[in-house]
Amino acid sequence: MSPEPKIIAFCCNWCSYAAADLAGILRLQYPGSIRIIRVMCSGMVHPEMVLHALDKGADGVMIIGCHPGECHYLTGNEMALARAEVIADTLEDLGYASERFQLTWVSSAEPERLVEAFRTMSGRLMLLRSEQQTSYAKKN
Amino acid sequence: MKPKLSFEWLHACSGCEIALLNYGEPLLALLNRVEIVHFPLLMDHKYTRPEREDLPLSLPEADIGLVSGGVAHQEHLTVLHEMRRQCRTLIALGTCATHGGIPAMRNQWSTADTLQTVLAAGDTEPGPMLDEPSLFLDRVYSVDEKVPVEVSLPGCPPQPELIAAIIEALLNKDTVPPANKSVCETCPTLRKGKGQTTIRRFLDNADYDRDQPVSRMRCLLEQGLLCMGPVTAGGCGGKDTPLCLRARVPCRGCYGPVRPGGNQLLDMKNALASNGIDHRSIVDRKSLLRFSGAHGLIQPAGKRR
Amino acid sequence: MAQVLTIDPVTRIEGHARIKIHLDEQGRVSDARVAISALRGFEQFVVGRPAEEIPRIVSRICGICPWMHHLAAVKAIDGCFGVTPTPAGHRLRELCQVMAHIHDKILHFFFLAAPDFVLGPDSDFSVRNIMGMVRQDPELAARVVRMRQLGQVMLDRFAGKSIHPVAGVVGGFAKPMSAEERSDLQRDGATLLDFASFALDYAKERVFHRYREEMQSLGAITTGFLGTIDDQGGLQLYDGRLRLMHASGTTVDFPAADYAQHLSEQVEPWSSAKMVYAKSWQEGFSLDPAAPKGVYRVNTLARLNVCDHIGTPRAQAELEDFRAQFGRPAQGTLLYHWARLIELIYACERTQELLADDRITDPHIRNTATPQAGRGIGCVEAPRGTLIHEYATDDNGCITSANLIVGTTHNIAPMNLSVRQAAASLIHDGVYDEAILNRVEMAVRAYDP
Ligand code: SF4
Ligand code: SF4
Ligand code: SF4
Ligand code: FES
Repeated sequence: MSPEPKIIAFCCNWCSYAAADLAGILRLQYPGSIRIIRVMCSGMVHPEMVLHALDKGADGVMIIGCHPGECHYLTGNEMALARAEVIADTLEDLGYASERFQLTWVSSAEPERLVEAFRTMSGRLMLLRSEQQTSYAKKN
Repeated sequence: MKPKLSFEWLHACSGCEIALLNYGEPLLALLNRVEIVHFPLLMDHKYTRPEREDLPLSLPEADIGLVSGGVAHQEHLTVLHEMRRQCRTLIALGTCATHGGIPAMRNQWSTADTLQTVLAAGDTEPGPMLDEPSLFLDRVYSVDEKVPVEVSLPGCPPQPELIAAIIEALLNKDTVPPANKSVCETCPTLRKGKGQTTIRRFLDNADYDRDQPVSRMRCLLEQGLLCMGPVTAGGCGGKDTPLCLRARVPCRGCYGPVRPGGNQLLDMKNALASNGIDHRSIVDRKSLLRFSGAHGLIQPAGKRR
Repeated sequence: MAQVLTIDPVTRIEGHARIKIHLDEQGRVSDARVAISALRGFEQFVVGRPAEEIPRIVSRICGICPWMHHLAAVKAIDGCFGVTPTPAGHRLRELCQVMAHIHDKILHFFFLAAPDFVLGPDSDFSVRNIMGMVRQDPELAARVVRMRQLGQVMLDRFAGKSIHPVAGVVGGFAKPMSAEERSDLQRDGATLLDFASFALDYAKERVFHRYREEMQSLGAITTGFLGTIDDQGGLQLYDGRLRLMHASGTTVDFPAADYAQHLSEQVEPWSSAKMVYAKSWQEGFSLDPAAPKGVYRVNTLARLNVCDHIGTPRAQAELEDFRAQFGRPAQGTLLYHWARLIELIYACERTQELLADDRITDPHIRNTATPQAGRGIGCVEAPRGTLIHEYATDDNGCITSANLIVGTTHNIAPMNLSVRQAAASLIHDGVYDEAILNRVEMAVRAYDP
């Protein structure tokens, strides 16, 4: 198993993707196993895309949008927030740990905040993996 | 030579076969155009010669095979593989075959748990255990999880005209009619937009005027009843009112998801959230997958991935 | 050489089954068994569900008699929630239940069983079926197909869905009956009643008189019987008390809710289906063919044996004729078919009787239910026999446990005895052919498993 958890990050075009760009320019370090997918707005990430990513083997999924009130399309991130609850609940219903999903707000001027969010998520998934391995070992 | 048809049922309830018989008199004309080579409900073709238990099960060759029911037992698997080998075109008939159907609700438990509960039910003295519990598969699978199929025809049961139309289309080498949109598409109820913001249980009838047609009744979802019309493949009522709505009760999703790979639980909660309805007011969320729990969607509780 | 003959699958029955016949060194039948594989898991996966949803889930136990499971569950959930259905709700449920018996009986007799008799038990297997009947008598076949469909269409039209119904709801029924619907049903019901009378006359002439000997001897065993009756001892399909009759003819009546005091379940190691036996006879349970113990039968023949009379005129006249010929209790296994057609007449007459009563169009169809902790037992007579659903709920009205006894479960033990009897009397010195094995299957078919 690869040491670093695979994370799919849906970043909105106007804030978080710009922040990721900036992080690159500033050469900020973050885990290499993060795959960024650019979307126009966090509000367009359908829950099925999250589920699909996990079904196909991602360890975690992040949706990263503009801060509340700053969405380029006005209320896209409110939609994302309403869906986040649905996604977390649904993951548990389907047998996935809801820790594998995270919604975060980042502005285009906050590359450090973005990188910090990546690191936190990666750490959380590592922890989850080791917990699951212990509980598996106990059962068998 | 007449085209050959072969029918089998696996983890099924016979409802799909009865639906076909409900096609009535036009069925006789259809049957006249084909030769049925295997159909356990109606004819006496057997799997092997009686004295040869050692021979593998064998089924006749056929142009079109119809299989109802999911796959839950080693024997289902054997029959299914033989059907696949012998049939040029294979139709997964009914929601059990396409998405697991109601029997896949048991995927929430392990097979061992289910065996124990079912055999111990009641205040009975426990009987001896089954000789070969190992022959049960670990869960209920849909047919397409085990073999490729050419046509998926969901519905619990599928509408008789839909079954006949597909067989006709295949006989005429036409393209198979495309699947319908959602159940709501053909539902005539009144939709006014903002309705109830919570979901209540179906403990009292919907509000409607008994002297007025369904088209004068307010949409059940807007009345605060859980209706799965928005996330369920349409077609149960043909071009007319969906069947459950005719009885003035909400849709429970028996045709499976609108898109074959969809997820009714996720779609329904998403639809509720988008409309400002509190999805947490649903008492039993897992039941949103009551017809489509195969494909690994329903997992044993406690097994967090 | 000792040998095992396997009939797999048993065909022209309404589910999955397999027969194994064991022959000893001398080619005599040493044992014969019917196995029905049936781990569906319903008792497991209803657990945790809101109880009012159960009737729409358990209907999927059987697509031929879904109304029976639907309504047995509805009755049981009424009990869990302590709600009584309105009088109109009660009547509409019974109406649907008896109408659902109509298509089942036509299906079973004409589509599944009749080919053995009309075309002959020894006819070639490739024509011994409904398609063969179509070729032999297209007019009759067309009528049969049409009549069975009409029974289903009546239900579809009134209740929305005939296969896997939805209209029975805790507290009553989901939709009232309009005057127009009522007269439509009356018209179609009359057509079916005519057909039912024709069907029995036809069967008497073409089947029962020609196969008089077999009717009594094939698969013949001596057992007790179980069925439902009303306060006056009349035949009932939807509601009433249970009557358990010993082979000697003595009976005991009890409310369905007390079933566990009289019946007990057992799982045999060679079949994944449970068997039930009459615990209250205190003789235990044994499938020894020479001296079976605790074995009783359900389904059509049983219901006609346990009832004192039938409340509708044509069916009553036929019951009298039947009793005059075969006594009470009648034991011949193939007599199940005869009894089935008498019940078809009853179901049609009862449909008309319920429709004639003005209370059927009363708009007050459902009482509001309140989820609560409780226990409920629902019992109806399904085409295949006495059907019992039992559930318990928690404070939130969700299911905590379930126990289901379906018609076939009662009949598995007697079916095994019948198959063994049929095989032993037909197979000598290890000699058998397709026709003989089909006769063994006929012993199973009579039970309509
Ligand atoms: S899809 Fe429905 S009708 Fe068909 S076998 Fe499954 S439960 Fe029965
Ligand atoms: S939600 Fe239900 S009642 Fe409303 S339109 Fe859709 S199917 Fe009809
Ligand atoms: S309304 Fe929904 S549950 Fe009812 S038959 Fe149609 S698809 Fe199935
Ligand atoms: S544009 Fe960034 S969240 Fe909508």
